[in-house]
Amino acid sequence: MGFHLVRKTDIKIWQIALYYLAGIAVSLILGAVLLTSLEINAVDYYKDMFTAGLIGNRFPAKTIENFFVSFVPLLITSLALALSFKMRFWNIGGEGQFIIGALTSSVIALKCPNMNPFLILLLMVITGMVFSGITGLAIAFLKTKFNTNETLATLMINYIALYVIRFIGDTKADWNFFLREDSVRPKFASFEENARMPYIDIGGYHLQFSVIFTVLIAFGIWFYLKYTKQGYEISVVGDSSKTAKYAGMNVNKIVLRTMFISAAMIGLAGAFTASSSAGVSANITNNVGWTGIIVAWLSKLSIPGIVVASFLISILQYGCRIASASYPSIDSHFADLLQGIILFSVLAADFLANYKIVRRKETDNA
Amino acid sequence: MDGSEFAIELKNISKSFGSVAANKNINLTLKKGEILALLGENGSGKTTLMNMLSGIYKPDTGSVFVDGKKVVISSPEDSVKLGIGMVHQHFKLVNVFTAADNILIGKTGEGDKSFFLKKDRYDKVDAIIKNFGFELDSRKLVSNMSVSEKQTLEIVKVLYYGAKTIILDEPTAVLTVQETTKLFDVLRKMKEKGHSIIIITHKLNEVMDISDRVAILRKGEYIDTVNTSETSEKQLTELMVGRKIDLAIDRPKMEKTKPVLEIRGLSVKSDEGNLALEDVSFYLRGGEILGVAGIAGSGQKELCEALAGLRKIEAGRVLHKGEDIAGATPKQILEKGVTMSFVPEDRLGMGLAPSLSITDNVILKKYKEGKGILVDRKTGAKDAAKIIKELEIVTPSADTAVRKLSGGNVQKVLLGREIAIDPNVIVTAYPVRGLDINSSYAVYNILNEQKKKGVGILFVGEDLDVMLALCDKIMVLCHGKLMGVVHAHKTTKEELGLMMTGALNTVHRGGKTAGVAKDSAIVEDEIIYTDTEAAK
Repeated sequence: MGFHLVRKTDIKIWQIALYYLAGIAVSLILGAVLLTSLEINAVDYYKDMFTAGLIGNRFPAKTIENFFVSFVPLLITSLALALSFKMRFWNIGGEGQFIIGALTSSVIALKCPNMNPFLILLLMVITGMVFSGITGLAIAFLKTKFNTNETLATLMINYIALYVIRFIGDTKADWNFFLREDSVRPKFASFEENARMPYIDIGGYHLQFSVIFTVLIAFGIWFYLKYTKQGYEISVVGDSSKTAKYAGMNVNKIVLRTMFISAAMIGLAGAFTASSSAGVSANITNNVGWTGIIVAWLSKLSIPGIVVASFLISILQYGCRIASASYPSIDSHFADLLQGIILFSVLAADFLANYKIVRRKETDNA
Repeated sequence: MDGSEFAIELKNISKSFGSVAANKNINLTLKKGEILALLGENGSGKTTLMNMLSGIYKPDTGSVFVDGKKVVISSPEDSVKLGIGMVHQHFKLVNVFTAADNILIGKTGEGDKSFFLKKDRYDKVDAIIKNFGFELDSRKLVSNMSVSEKQTLEIVKVLYYGAKTIILDEPTAVLTVQETTKLFDVLRKMKEKGHSIIIITHKLNEVMDISDRVAILRKGEYIDTVNTSETSEKQLTELMVGRKIDLAIDRPKMEKTKPVLEIRGLSVKSDEGNLALEDVSFYLRGGEILGVAGIAGSGQKELCEALAGLRKIEAGRVLHKGEDIAGATPKQILEKGVTMSFVPEDRLGMGLAPSLSITDNVILKKYKEGKGILVDRKTGAKDAAKIIKELEIVTPSADTAVRKLSGGNVQKVLLGREIAIDPNVIVTAYPVRGLDINSSYAVYNILNEQKKKGVGILFVGEDLDVMLALCDKIMVLCHGKLMGVVHAHKTTKEELGLMMTGALNTVHRGGKTAGVAKDSAIVEDEIIYTDTEAAK
């Protein structure tokens, strides 16, 4: 007697949604058990979590603004990663590229305190994109030239970037213009007003420009992949690089170009985040480089899927953080734990939605 | 041993993958000491059925009897214990091990429990080799073995494990005529010693030659088992295909044109850096099909890639209508009207992007045409619709991913695209690889249609019978060297087989140099000399 997996064919989208909901329900029950054991009312906790504390909040506009501050980087990063994943280039260096983008753009922010706000934002964005893009380009170059393993290379850049930003954040020295001068202890300096993300005021709600740009970027990437010759090249290279070569495509050029775009977009997310949070910090990435990988795969690299998935995961993350902040007996680590359980259940649900486990039957109709 | 007349009985075996039924209620018997041929078109479920005997798949329903006793085979180990051994189409050997060590790594359980490898392992293996009259050195490394030696090793391996029933999955696909004869001798000897053998094949002449009985599957269903002595190739084909079919391949006679492609002294390196083609010369005229025969890995792939501009040419000249195209980019070569379609072993690797739609595959070679940054899918969809209609491709729509199509339709998409660009030279390698009879004949017709239009076709093939019937001339490669170019209607399978193994070289036969056209566009002192020699 044994079991084996059979891939389901023709599953409907609502069936997948049903599996996802079931997965989330299971994880919430598990979370409720944990919460009850910590003597917290699970219903109240979940209410806070799913409404992100909006109900009964005196400053709902602020909450929504903050939500977008964490949604924008995750969406852009997931889109950028999907671009390279589509080409079967395993860029797992989102973290590092994000830090490089944030750090280099903050140089502009800190060094040009009197510049026009729109000009400085443009300069910050270009700087972040170029430096991060060059990192990606270098890794792609090593890959095309010496066939190095891009997974290892991008991973190692993550650590280099992480420790560089920690080193800068911990080292009080004359050269270190990243830190506040008026503080004895090392502390990252805040940007001047001109380097903070401009916004449109809608009845007290501040709609940051980065949100508008992100929507445009998502649409642009979708269009790029679906309708342009370059997008077509990416799908062919990803599907079979032999075929791409055979069709006369310059595969190396396509890999270099796409990886530059992918890394530059993550650098852009870093620059946006630095600007909208008015400064950098060692944990500025909020793990988007990792979460972005999950989002990209959960959406099967579909661009509309990524928009939906990153939106939902941002709500989950943000809500978890808000909810755990209102209970003294737990901290943000509990929020991370709950997030992990939910994501794991969703991935399991995704698996069960696509495969069925079949038990072998034996018959004796001889 | 004496439990039953049958070594193996399958009763009502069914197996499906997803919603596709690969086997439906199959009943099959294998008598002790007989050779049973399992015949069926591609996708008829032969390999699936045998994989259930060797424990790779498990049947959804039905029962298996070995020696009259009902058994459950749930793993390859179970299968070995029951005395069933399978020789797969793709060998499962460790390259850096000797023959004997390859046999011993799979040997578990009873017997040698010692921690150390003992010297006498070679003797044990040698004993079996001698007993059955194989030709194999137990100390030879697999990496130094020819395809036929590797196959012999696989057979010795299953015998060493004590197999009484041996299943061979298309064993002759990789062998030359001579090697096949040798294999069949060994199989007959094994039969004499009481072994039962199932041989999967779709080559009818081999079925007639070696088997005692033939079991036929069609579309996953069991059709019949007939005695070989009481049947004919024609009857077997009808049983296999389900209707009458004309087995003759057309070879239209065409007016010959000047050479469209002339290759002189071509040398190309393989991926490993050694010479895959060495000083090869041949020419191709418009309106002819030139076959390329050779054992797998004799430089066919490198030849195709060099002609398409995908592989660097180390030495030699490639003339297209008198113009040197050696060193041109794939795109430039394509623009000259030379198309190459190569069907690799996995059938999808080169030339097609399997996850993309038919339309996206059809536009592959001209997606860059047209101004602007956008891909012109409108024209692509029209082209795709035309190819689907003309080549009768079975598909739900032009938006279906190519990997969801059946093998024959996949290959039609590939060929259809190549033909759609109105080529004057078609280089095609293994276009019928893995196709069933119907689809194969459809492909031959497509090629003949192109030939009638005056296109020169280089046909790299595997099946000598087909090449003898379809091609006008056949050139033979052995280890990257040209062994000769012969007229298909004047040569025999045996002669081709000898050339393929390098035992016969006909390049300079009859005072002529094979592969050099009389009306060549290449003027070289040495060549002219040879031609005058021939004229004398």
